Amino acid sequence: MAITERVEKARQNYVNVKPHISYERAELWTESFMKTEGEPMCIRTAKAFYDTCDKMDVHIFDGELIVGATGEFRKCGILTPEFSWKWVDKEMDTFDKRPQDPYDMTDEQRDFVRKNIFPYWKGKSLEEHFLAQIPESSRDIVIDTGIVDSDSKWRQAVGEVTPDYQDVIFKLGWGGIVKKCEEKLSKLEGVTEEDLDRIDFYNSVIISAKALLRYAERYADEAERMASVETDPTRKEELIQISANCRRVPENPPETFYEAIQMLWFTQVGGVLNENPLSLNPGRFDQYMYPYYKKDKDAGMITEDKAQELIECLWLKYSEWVWTISANTADYFAGYNQFQNLTVGGRTREGLDATNDITYMALKATEEVKTHQPGLSVKIHPDCPEKFMSAVTELISKGTGFPAVHNDQAGYQMLINAGYEPEDARDWNNCGCVVPHFRKTGEWTAAVNLNFGSAIEFALNEGKQFLTDKKLGLDQQPAAEMKTYEDVEKAFLDQLGNLVKHSIIATITAQRLHEEMVPRPYLSATMEQCLEDGVDLSKGGAKYNVGPVITGIGLAVSANSLAAIKKLVFEDKVCDMKTMHDALAADWEGYEDLRALARAVPKYGNDDAYVDNIAIMISNYYYEEVHKYTDVNGSHFNPAFMGISNYIPAGRVCGATPDGRKATTPLSEGVSPFTGSDESTPIAAMRSAAKVNHDVYSGGTLLNMRLDQDLVSTKRGQANLGNLIRSYFQLGAFHVQFNTVSNEVLHAAQKKPDNYKDLLVRVAGYSTQFVNLSRTMQDAIIARNAHKNY
Amino acid sequence: MDIKGRVMEIQHFSVNDGDGIRSTIFLAGCPLRCQWCANPEGFTPDNKIAWYKKTCVACGKCAEVCPMGIGIDLDLEREKCTACGKCADVCPTGSRKRMVTEMTADAVMQELEPNMSVFRQSGGGVTFSGGDPMQQAYFVRELSSRLYDLGIGLAVETEGYFDFDEVEDILEKMDLIFVDIKVLGPKRHRQFTGRDNDLILTNIKKMRRFTKKRIVVRIPVIEGVNADDFNIRRTAEFVKRHLPNASMELLPYHRLGEAKYEALGMDTPSEEFKTPPKERIEELKKLVIGAGVQTISFK
Repeated sequence: MAITERVEKARQNYVNVKPHISYERAELWTESFMKTEGEPMCIRTAKAFYDTCDKMDVHIFDGELIVGATGEFRKCGILTPEFSWKWVDKEMDTFDKRPQDPYDMTDEQRDFVRKNIFPYWKGKSLEEHFLAQIPESSRDIVIDTGIVDSDSKWRQAVGEVTPDYQDVIFKLGWGGIVKKCEEKLSKLEGVTEEDLDRIDFYNSVIISAKALLRYAERYADEAERMASVETDPTRKEELIQISANCRRVPENPPETFYEAIQMLWFTQVGGVLNENPLSLNPGRFDQYMYPYYKKDKDAGMITEDKAQELIECLWLKYSEWVWTISANTADYFAGYNQFQNLTVGGRTREGLDATNDITYMALKATEEVKTHQPGLSVKIHPDCPEKFMSAVTELISKGTGFPAVHNDQAGYQMLINAGYEPEDARDWNNCGCVVPHFRKTGEWTAAVNLNFGSAIEFALNEGKQFLTDKKLGLDQQPAAEMKTYEDVEKAFLDQLGNLVKHSIIATITAQRLHEEMVPRPYLSATMEQCLEDGVDLSKGGAKYNVGPVITGIGLAVSANSLAAIKKLVFEDKVCDMKTMHDALAADWEGYEDLRALARAVPKYGNDDAYVDNIAIMISNYYYEEVHKYTDVNGSHFNPAFMGISNYIPAGRVCGATPDGRKATTPLSEGVSPFTGSDESTPIAAMRSAAKVNHDVYSGGTLLNMRLDQDLVSTKRGQANLGNLIRSYFQLGAFHVQFNTVSNEVLHAAQKKPDNYKDLLVRVAGYSTQFVNLSRTMQDAIIARNAHKNY
Repeated sequence: MDIKGRVMEIQHFSVNDGDGIRSTIFLAGCPLRCQWCANPEGFTPDNKIAWYKKTCVACGKCAEVCPMGIGIDLDLEREKCTACGKCADVCPTGSRKRMVTEMTADAVMQELEPNMSVFRQSGGGVTFSGGDPMQQAYFVRELSSRLYDLGIGLAVETEGYFDFDEVEDILEKMDLIFVDIKVLGPKRHRQFTGRDNDLILTNIKKMRRFTKKRIVVRIPVIEGVNADDFNIRRTAEFVKRHLPNASMELLPYHRLGEAKYEALGMDTPSEEFKTPPKERIEELKKLVIGAGVQTISFK
């Protein structure tokens, strides 16, 4: 079946309309907060959510089968001033003009929020508290510098949760969650501090759950009203069905596939309204949806086509709301990406192959609607069916950059190393882009982006940035005084270790504030352990509390840089350290010959031990440094080499590096080679990347590759790609993803963006519409080396 | 409709039919009637019922279900047997056995799937054998194209007795082609196999166009048929001249197929056909090498 007319219409709207900011949620939230001062924060949050659900306008858009809007616009971003409003105030006048992820907003809207919303939050937001509390010694390094970047964790909510559909939401229904909390409450007397906290917690969950029920009730009423005036008999039927769905779910456990999918969306939209979250992951969609599909299918209640249409409607819902973020955050997470990761395939909790009909329908939905959301991930295990591998490589060959391909066993091992029970580890899903995660988990999976390039320049420039001459690193002897390669290596590692330390300080500062200021009663309701123990997610209430993830940016650049110094200065002696320093300070101007030599030194990504061994040394050191710290819950911090678009802003603040890279140009992402330097085969690039000990980077690792379209245009070519992936995974690696769109197409899209609005490309760990990327980001993608032969 | 073929056996973990670990699909039907054939059940594509007397416990279950009223001793009433296989279904000891089964391409693929990881690890794949698989060219074409699309290595073992143009596309998909020259002399060829070898030799010459494929010309070396110096040297010279890049494999004849002849109620191959001693095979290999052809062995 081809895509239905209804879905195509919605898709056209999604592709062509710019997202619009709605302040409705912010307005209602603020009004509510004005009335609840003095009450416990979790109760205030829950009441604000209730008031929002009770009062915000209800919108059922044209032809929708799944309902629930975040505001008055179909493509809509919301404001969450309790987290931060200052950046909005500063940036909203140019929201529609900024290069990355622009939003529409009218002058009337701007006036309204400046007059009625922001004044209340002055001095009260998370952002302001964070800025007031960040230690002076860290401030210059961690606030909007591109060196240690954590602003998504103090200007935004955490997000990064996978609601537990299997054991909580679909099992109890939100009505059942209320009942469970009432039972718990009946046993508490409040005679201890812990008891009082629990009472507040359960009350906050009850209010939050009732808020969602109220929201659904209002949609049921609206659908009923619309049905009564609808003249088209088909649409009238649909509206009656929508109303019936909204009366049954989310209060009760779903009984049909359609109810389940509506409940899934209601749960999601509740999360969005609560915290404008990053990475509110649907998780293992094929696992929890299949039983409903099978039951309906066996009973003759649903056809495959109908189920496919519903899934595609859901994909559009996931894509229509946008994560409202600052220009800085948008640089790191480019492409209107909400990072709602949906994972299919892999193994069951028992360890058997988990693919089913829904697995394939999810792949098909992404191919058909080409939405950038959900972030579609697949898990490949050694015995995965040929049919599944073929479906996966076929979708890759379409050039959407989906799905992200993950090694089921590596993910399992990463969770085992993070302390999970085997059955839970086997049941892992992806969070965000490439973080192995599990639904019963509280974790900050993208806590900090740490710039390895800065550590290189601090090591070589007496602790100073080349571009600003500001001293933000440790004291360091001048490069000219370094006598051996080991001196250089030590300087780099010391500087890197220092940046890790500041990352930890920034994160713990933010964590402490989150516990106190932004409890998460609604999302806690989706966590079995929080409900059982009466402890909020933000206070470590989940079954697993995994330490925050510090993502290293520029592994390849730093390894290539050390290799260049080792070879040029200390082995071939073509220049001394002073000359190298001067060349970097001059951004290679006047040192073109030296730069040519630097570029010729072996580069990571070609299976060359000379430089790969340095990369492994750095990554092992990074693991040790990050992992030795513990967070507010006593959990070890976790390192990662994942992607996002962080390598571009991180590069922007870095001077030239000894590998021949020019100042301000992008660094390297994840465990990927530096752009264009993987000149051998994809096998060599993979072999380099697989040398990193993936299983200890519980925050995830990422490899991006570009393949020539011709390589995967035939079934046989796709099968070869499948074998390439299998081989990479056999070497223990975790993730790989592919762009297969040719540069001709990408250049054409730059020239005539209107003709390529639905062209999806892989950025780093996720796909998004190419035309929605800034020019710098587009150029960075074009610069990646496209392999023409295996 | 899924294409069906007639399969004698799918032998997994085959290690002598090409590189690595393979699954060999034996397809029924053969244009030749080699007197020493080890797989006589594959002469024709029809099913046949084998009866292994040694393991038969004479329980009579076969006779109970036989729609033709055949008794335990199948050999007495073979002409009545339609090979419906009901007896094979009920035989508790497996002494009554179907020798050819009709299978869909889907079913074959399903049976191969669990072996794919082993193919990939070992550099192996699937070998089509027989009978002569080219007798079911349509089926080999379907299976080989599906397997090719999965990136699985492919080999074929053929008698070379086919219409070249009709099967060229199949041969194109193969990584490795085994083709037999039983005897080079046309008269002896006809005497022992029932067919002239012009077509076979012509087809082998045509294989020269496959410049990038590995081709192995095989001789089943049988004392009393083709194990003389003259035949082997001449065959090697033929190969050298027409397929200069091919290698040759000398397979010593074995009598392991005899039990099947008995079970099918057929006369066993002549006692005149003898397995050459190892030393003799080594001598013959030297002749081949002397003629300028590489020898190869998948043992």
